Amino acid sequence: MDEAVLDVIRNIQDLPTLPSVAMEVMTLAKAPDVSIREISECIYRDPPLATKVLRVANSTFYRRGSQEIETLHRAILMMGLGEVIGITTSVSVLSLLGARDSRGASMRASFWNHCVATGLIARRIDRKLGMKSQGRDFVGGLLHDIGKIILDGYFHDRFEQACELSSRRRCPLHLAEQEVLGTTHMEVGHYLTRKWNLPPYLVDITLHHHHPDKAQFRDLTALVSMADLLAKARDLSCCGDTPPFVLKDQEAWETLVKLGYPMDGLDVERITFEIEDIAQEVEAYITTASEAAPEAAHG
Amino acid sequence: MADYLAFPVPQMTDETFWLLRDFVYEHSGIYFADNKKPQLENRLGLRLRANNLPDFDKYYYLLKYDPQAARELRALFDSVTTNETSFFRSPPQIQAFQEKVLPEIIERRVADGGRTLRLWSAGCSTGDEPYTMGIVVREVLKEAVVGWDIRIFASDISEKALKSARSAQYSEYTLRSVPPEIKRKYFTQSGSQYTVNEEIRSLVDLQYLNFNDAARVRLMKGFDVIFCRNVLIYFDDEAKKRFVAQLYDNLNPGGYLFIGHSESLHNISRAFKLVHFPGALGYKKE
Ligand SMILES: [Fe+2]
Ligand SMILES: [Fe+2]
Repeated sequence: MDEAVLDVIRNIQDLPTLPSVAMEVMTLAKAPDVSIREISECIYRDPPLATKVLRVANSTFYRRGSQEIETLHRAILMMGLGEVIGITTSVSVLSLLGARDSRGASMRASFWNHCVATGLIARRIDRKLGMKSQGRDFVGGLLHDIGKIILDGYFHDRFEQACELSSRRRCPLHLAEQEVLGTTHMEVGHYLTRKWNLPPYLVDITLHHHHPDKAQFRDLTALVSMADLLAKARDLSCCGDTPPFVLKDQEAWETLVKLGYPMDGLDVERITFEIEDIAQEVEAYITTASEAAPEAAHG
Repeated sequence: MADYLAFPVPQMTDETFWLLRDFVYEHSGIYFADNKKPQLENRLGLRLRANNLPDFDKYYYLLKYDPQAARELRALFDSVTTNETSFFRSPPQIQAFQEKVLPEIIERRVADGGRTLRLWSAGCSTGDEPYTMGIVVREVLKEAVVGWDIRIFASDISEKALKSARSAQYSEYTLRSVPPEIKRKYFTQSGSQYTVNEEIRSLVDLQYLNFNDAARVRLMKGFDVIFCRNVLIYFDDEAKKRFVAQLYDNLNPGGYLFIGHSESLHNISRAFKLVHFPGALGYKKE
């Protein structure tokens, strides 16, 4: 076995980094007494980013009232800081790691389709369970598998081998990754989210989304884990085997039961039907979040 | 579809669509996803006209508050279920049956030495479903099929439908979802008609059965898979619960029930395990 993959990743010099403004927003957001002004001014320093954030905030995914949200300040007042930081994170990562990139296009496309679907489904279940995750549901879903992008980008052939192995042996992808690469997309994602200074809940989700009971943020991680499964059931999976499953026997479900959520009242069939046309929603989200900004938004 | 378009239908607002969608789901277990709005609009458009109502809001009030609502409900169910059947209808369900369910059951049978398969197409209409099941079984077992004792019971309440099923003749249109090589293998073409080959017909046992005939339904024992698609809609909640509990008893342990693609057993049965297959749901008896 050659040098451990995780060590190689630690030494990669050109590992993607979030734009400095996005990094700063993450740092600011961790401060307990951060003001709305500080955050919005920080985002405005990257005008294309600000434009995209506002566009997403005004899209059908987030918009509540009929009035157009014209400034970030207003967006934060109306949606809450958590949502706006979530949108900023999503938009930054999507433009950094190209949702509709020509390079390795098909893996990337199915990867982001899976991730956006997971985010949208997590958001839906969050509302049904009244979890009030304030946007962390969506961002958590969006980034849970982020380690796969690095494995695919830097260890392409071996990652493909792992995907094949998983399909052939009908075993979970992370077990195949462990065998072929000596690490998993969870470990890599864990490393990356820490390096990017992302909030602890995201670090937690990337590491534990296949074993949510081990997580620190157990409810969020279980939520994302469940959304991940449902996305796969809607054929929006990415890499590896997609076996049939009984949702109520999954660790994610059991964790949420243990935490006291009203799982008995959740109509799983209905949720499944509701997300039947999720692929169109995913497409619309990616277009909104990644289109080139027509002009700077600051005015 | 064309007959729906023959007269102008008033627009259904999103709000009214949500109300009607929830109403239909609550009373029938059939769900119209957002992208099915035009479909619901067309189907209920017929009811609107039949009731001489100007818009869908009025129709919703009729369902909700009118003393005649029960009668209308029945008519509504008739219009929301597609009477149209076809071979390989709802491909993800057939795929789940072919790629996951049958291999699982076959593997178990091979292990315990009893090479039998008992399938039931409950509400088989003109036979598209049981013959599809037969073709799929034949495709999965391939040459090994000779070593197996296979019976596909196909029942319906309509003698007319059964007669048509016995003739096993279908139009090009009914076969539109059938892959060309399957068509070549299992059908004989004469002019514009296709006849199912004897090899498949011999697996299927067509018979009259009324689901209200509880004594006879109880006799249907030992099934591995039951397809009962778009049948439950005609029962009220209590009857539905009783019938689904009966279907549970009709299955072998490890057997599966498939209902309509957008039908739900939520609040109807807790005995089954809901299984998510890629693109389809199934119910498993453990
Ligand atoms: Fe994962
Ligand atoms: Fe995933």
